[in-house]
Amino acid sequence: MRLKLKLKTVFVLYFMVSLLGLVYALMQLGQRCDCTEHDIIKDRTISRLRGDLHKLQEEAKRSDPTKAPKKTNLPPIYVITPTYARLVQKAELTRLSQTFLHVPQLHWIVVEDSDQPTALVRNLLAESGLAYTQLHILTPKERKLQEGDPSWLKPRGAEQRNEGLRWLREMASTSRGQQGAAADSGVVYFADDDNTYSVKLFDEMRDTRGVSVWPVGLVGGMRFESPVVDGGKVIRFHTGWRPNRPFPIDMASFAVSLHLVVTNPDAVFDGDAQMGFLESSFLQSIITMEELEPKADMCTKVLVWHTRTEKPKMKREDALHKQGLGSDPNVEV
Amino acid sequence: MPKRRDILAIVLIVLPWTLLITVWHQNAIAPLLAIRKACHHLVRDFFIIPERLAIHRHRLADDGADGHREAGAGAAGDSKEYCSPDKDIVEVVRTEYVYTRPPPWSDVLPTIHVITPTYSRPVQKAELTRLANTFLHVANLHWILVEDSQRRTPLVARLLRETGLNYTHLNVETPRNYKLRGDTRDPRIPRGTMQRNLALRWLRETFSANSSQPGIVYFADDDNTYSLELFEEMRSTRKVSVWPVAFVGGLRYESPKVNAAGKVYGWKTVFDPHRPFAIDMAGFAINLRLVLLKPQAYFKLRGVKGGYQESSLLRDLVTLNDLEPKAANCTKILVWHTRTEKPVLVNEGKKGFTDPNVEI
Repeated sequence: MRLKLKLKTVFVLYFMVSLLGLVYALMQLGQRCDCTEHDIIKDRTISRLRGDLHKLQEEAKRSDPTKAPKKTNLPPIYVITPTYARLVQKAELTRLSQTFLHVPQLHWIVVEDSDQPTALVRNLLAESGLAYTQLHILTPKERKLQEGDPSWLKPRGAEQRNEGLRWLREMASTSRGQQGAAADSGVVYFADDDNTYSVKLFDEMRDTRGVSVWPVGLVGGMRFESPVVDGGKVIRFHTGWRPNRPFPIDMASFAVSLHLVVTNPDAVFDGDAQMGFLESSFLQSIITMEELEPKADMCTKVLVWHTRTEKPKMKREDALHKQGLGSDPNVEV
Repeated sequence: MPKRRDILAIVLIVLPWTLLITVWHQNAIAPLLAIRKACHHLVRDFFIIPERLAIHRHRLADDGADGHREAGAGAAGDSKEYCSPDKDIVEVVRTEYVYTRPPPWSDVLPTIHVITPTYSRPVQKAELTRLANTFLHVANLHWILVEDSQRRTPLVARLLRETGLNYTHLNVETPRNYKLRGDTRDPRIPRGTMQRNLALRWLRETFSANSSQPGIVYFADDDNTYSLELFEEMRSTRKVSVWPVAFVGGLRYESPKVNAAGKVYGWKTVFDPHRPFAIDMAGFAINLRLVLLKPQAYFKLRGVKGGYQESSLLRDLVTLNDLEPKAANCTKILVWHTRTEKPVLVNEGKKGFTDPNVEI
């Protein structure tokens, strides 16, 4: 017996099935999907990540209530670093920037010994995450160390540091118009690119009013050089080499308040100074020993070291270069 | 002429299906589907980046690039894409940087165990200080510092404590006859070998092979220079990853040779390029699981030719084929083999000029 399969019936059935299917799918909307274990792990990872994220945000907010207000009141530290192109330059500036990232309100002034700003330094500074200024000035030939000269023969970096000072003075005078005397708050520190600085050092120098001083490790042929403090004042200097200099201290051992730099517009480093007298050539025109502010626990702690980096041996590179097989110069080292 | 009834019938057939399709695409099921394709559609990096910026989130449309550049002044920082091999979704976070404290520990990022052998000398504190300043920027870093000394020195103990880093302080003294130079009867073992082996042993005793804690092992000497990008490159190591190192082998840099398929097939070095692994200690990282799976793999102590120390460990762990090239297929320099000059302490004289109680 043949069933009378009317077209109408077919359509009605089809319609009912579709409707039921749609209703079923809509019911599924709010439910968890029947995923494979793979996806569940991902879900868990995602929610864990989100949980981590919120935890970290809370922690950051919580642990910084004291630091946050302080940050805006902190006088800025202007670090002037003279630098020049050589093999280890990028490495030195990289690890220096990693230290500076820990210091709040730090402005890094990098002065290159060149007639053009280089791309290497420009890119490094841009990626560092620091506030920075990139300057450049070429050392005149007669003041430059020649190949084979010992490093102490001529004072290095004088022009570059002076250029940094010039920029600071210019910046201070333009912002003085807007902010008045407050524009002078800040501390200037000369940091060479191969030394090692602990983060505590910058805390110590931050409240410098005139010129502050502290010990430096591994300098002057000794474990450390240091001012000698008595009654809260510097009475003499503990150094193994020519202690009769006006200021027998290293570049890394003092910081100057910006105010002092601005009010003494002619105080600069003398590039022709005798060996070891570079610091004195600058300091003697702005401060006397009695006025120095001793830091680092009355000059008993070493917070900065005068490390020097070896020149990497390139004899194989040089040999290859002669054969025309040197390493790819496009790879920045 | 189509009858009204027929049109009605057709509409009634098509309607449920169109409804179904449109609703299906818009609802919550869609994101779940997209998750499976993860890194291709939604790449949002999760990263705590040491930045002096306010907290905000970044959502990137993925085109493979890592362009997390801020519009603000000088604020790019170490932003990078972290797309794990499992294609997790991650989210970029720039948090206000908490000074001199390591980034908060994440339960998800693999831990980088950095093994650093060290020994007492005048520049030790300076080297460890600047190394610590670098490590404080790296999330989930565990510093294993192994001293070459009879006892753990207070200088190092104090330094480690004050950094706030997650650390383990070990020590093992290299026997004196191993330290003597140029004595052919007792050939010197490469410096730091016993210390690195002790650290490996500590890892094997502390972590079990079947625990799911992901980790990476990296040997970092205390006088080298490391960029922060390096640590993120090595975080995705599955077995052993490699990259170029500057200033080794008398060259600007040494590097693995990588073919078009992204596999290492040789070494671009001048000094003995036929070593099994012609690579510097700073040029590779090992997945912790591999270290735990092969508990017999250590650095060979004696009878190791110059330059073969790394091979003595790696040949027990991995073959050339399994190496993973990092740093843009080994074209970028992210680590420099710098060496610090020995300071000339002539003015100390025989009795010492400076106060020995002042620690340097």
